[in-house]
Amino acid sequence: MSIKKLPVVIVLVIGSIIMIFPILSLLGASFKTHTLVFTGGIIPQHPTLKNYATIFSSNIPLLRWILNSISVSIIASLIVVVIDSLAAYSLAKLKFAGRNVIFYVIVSSLMIPPIATLIPMYLEFSSANLLNTYWVLVLPYSANAFGIFLLYQFYLGIPDELVDAAKVDGSSKFRTWISIFVPLSTASLATLGLLTFMNVYNDFFWPLVSTNSNGMRTVTVGVALTAIGQYTTNYAELMALTFCSIIPMLLAFIFAQRKLTQGISTTGFNL
Amino acid sequence: MHSGCTQHWGDNMAEYNSGLATLHQPIPTRKRSFKVAVLDNLGSFSFTVPYLVAFILFAAIPVIFGLYVSLHDWNPVTGAGQFTGLSNYLQLFNSSTLAGHDFLIGLRNVVLFTVISVPFLVGIPTVVSYLIYCGPWKGLFRAIFFFPSVLSVTAITTVWSWILATQGGLLSSLFGIQLPWLTQQPFAWISIDATTEWWSMGFNIVILYAGLTQIPTSLFEASRIDGASPLRIYFSIVIPQLRNIISVVTVLGTIASFNLFAQSYLMTSGGPGSSTEPLTMFIYNQAFNEMKMGSATAMAFLMGIIIMIISFIQYRVARDRG
Repeated sequence: MSIKKLPVVIVLVIGSIIMIFPILSLLGASFKTHTLVFTGGIIPQHPTLKNYATIFSSNIPLLRWILNSISVSIIASLIVVVIDSLAAYSLAKLKFAGRNVIFYVIVSSLMIPPIATLIPMYLEFSSANLLNTYWVLVLPYSANAFGIFLLYQFYLGIPDELVDAAKVDGSSKFRTWISIFVPLSTASLATLGLLTFMNVYNDFFWPLVSTNSNGMRTVTVGVALTAIGQYTTNYAELMALTFCSIIPMLLAFIFAQRKLTQGISTTGFNL
Repeated sequence: MHSGCTQHWGDNMAEYNSGLATLHQPIPTRKRSFKVAVLDNLGSFSFTVPYLVAFILFAAIPVIFGLYVSLHDWNPVTGAGQFTGLSNYLQLFNSSTLAGHDFLIGLRNVVLFTVISVPFLVGIPTVVSYLIYCGPWKGLFRAIFFFPSVLSVTAITTVWSWILATQGGLLSSLFGIQLPWLTQQPFAWISIDATTEWWSMGFNIVILYAGLTQIPTSLFEASRIDGASPLRIYFSIVIPQLRNIISVVTVLGTIASFNLFAQSYLMTSGGPGSSTEPLTMFIYNQAFNEMKMGSATAMAFLMGIIIMIISFIQYRVARDRG
């Protein structure tokens, strides 16, 4: 590292502290007692697990919320990855009448702002009597046009010779998809899956309006409503609750940060 | 899927037959029976069916049904009421009606938020991504700046509400800065803006950084040999080369800012007064507290149209400048 780079490093380090400090102080505060939550810096002098114990023995179904969020996000991501990959494969590599029309209709749906479809979708699920179920928390995310676009671009780049060779070998279209296109695109599929997982796990507006019982809440909504309601005065417990709520995303970040950033980079290039 | 599998045999047979045919005839005719062609088309199409079902149910129907709802009085419990024509839309342009008044305030608030937040959301990441590009430990710094983006809006607003709390907040207890961050203007907007920047800046840094790595390094080397200062390189190489990505980030940032909801809902409840209440929150109240689904959908559609127009103009401006 040359001396000329020192100012750059200093600025980046200050920036990094600003980025990380709030979460570290959250973690620190979650181990403090209620009365000491604002004193003595971010490292607790007398760390205690009392806040966590209180939360898990209270009537807040935190574990249920986290499990709701995780299962809903995983199922939605799997659905998106499978159906988007199938459709993108067909749109990019198979020829059929109306293919271009379908592709342009799907891509232009990227412009529809989510707010415009939110209320009609709520009424749709309401008339199907599916509000406040896992269906309503999973299904709306399956119409993911971004994934189609992402995989379409990738599949276009796979040479036609591979498809033709598979065809000559007598492999069916489905077989070609599963034995050539899926293996070649695992990186893109994983990226799409992760981005979908993150979006669904962190979504706020839709789970807020589409669920109404405590047991069906996702963790983002559940914690938010608890925070507004009963914990506004006890910051230490609120911090412990919040920290628990972000553990799954922290793990995803630690293990898949590279994939996530890759996916987001491609977002920028594709649009 | 099954139909895709089985019908393919027919497809193969057709290929095989036409292959045989070409062996016997000097001029290849590529004649396939109509039935085989239809089946082949259907087989290829069948791969899109699972997605298309989702698309129709959760994108197409909501748009069409929403248009229908917006032309009616619509109660979520009793369902469709009277057909009201365009009056749900027309009232939004008349600020003497309640909905029009709300729409105007919400629009004004969200435009104010967007105008303040987007320059920071684009400006700071352009600089930071360039610093990361120039400095050491690129992967580490990129990861750190990206980190808040993976957190939920609940988590980040909880943390920042605690940091900013006037009585006993972290800022007031650690640094003695006691200001009504969440309860008075302009502090309420500053808080919501700053929290949003902190939360979503990393997303743009990642995109812009990826753009920087696409710039040919020879450009940087050439200008360094010519003795250009880092500042000069930034303005005459980095910014022009990143123009496309900067415009993408600007459009995405504008759309996201226009959709502001949870930060206001959770940090200030739209207050003080309704000065931080964005359009989305008025729509939410109209639909789920006032139970006026028709009028709320009309508001959402008009908001959607406004977003589309703004994005379109931004794209055009960015394109024409280049």
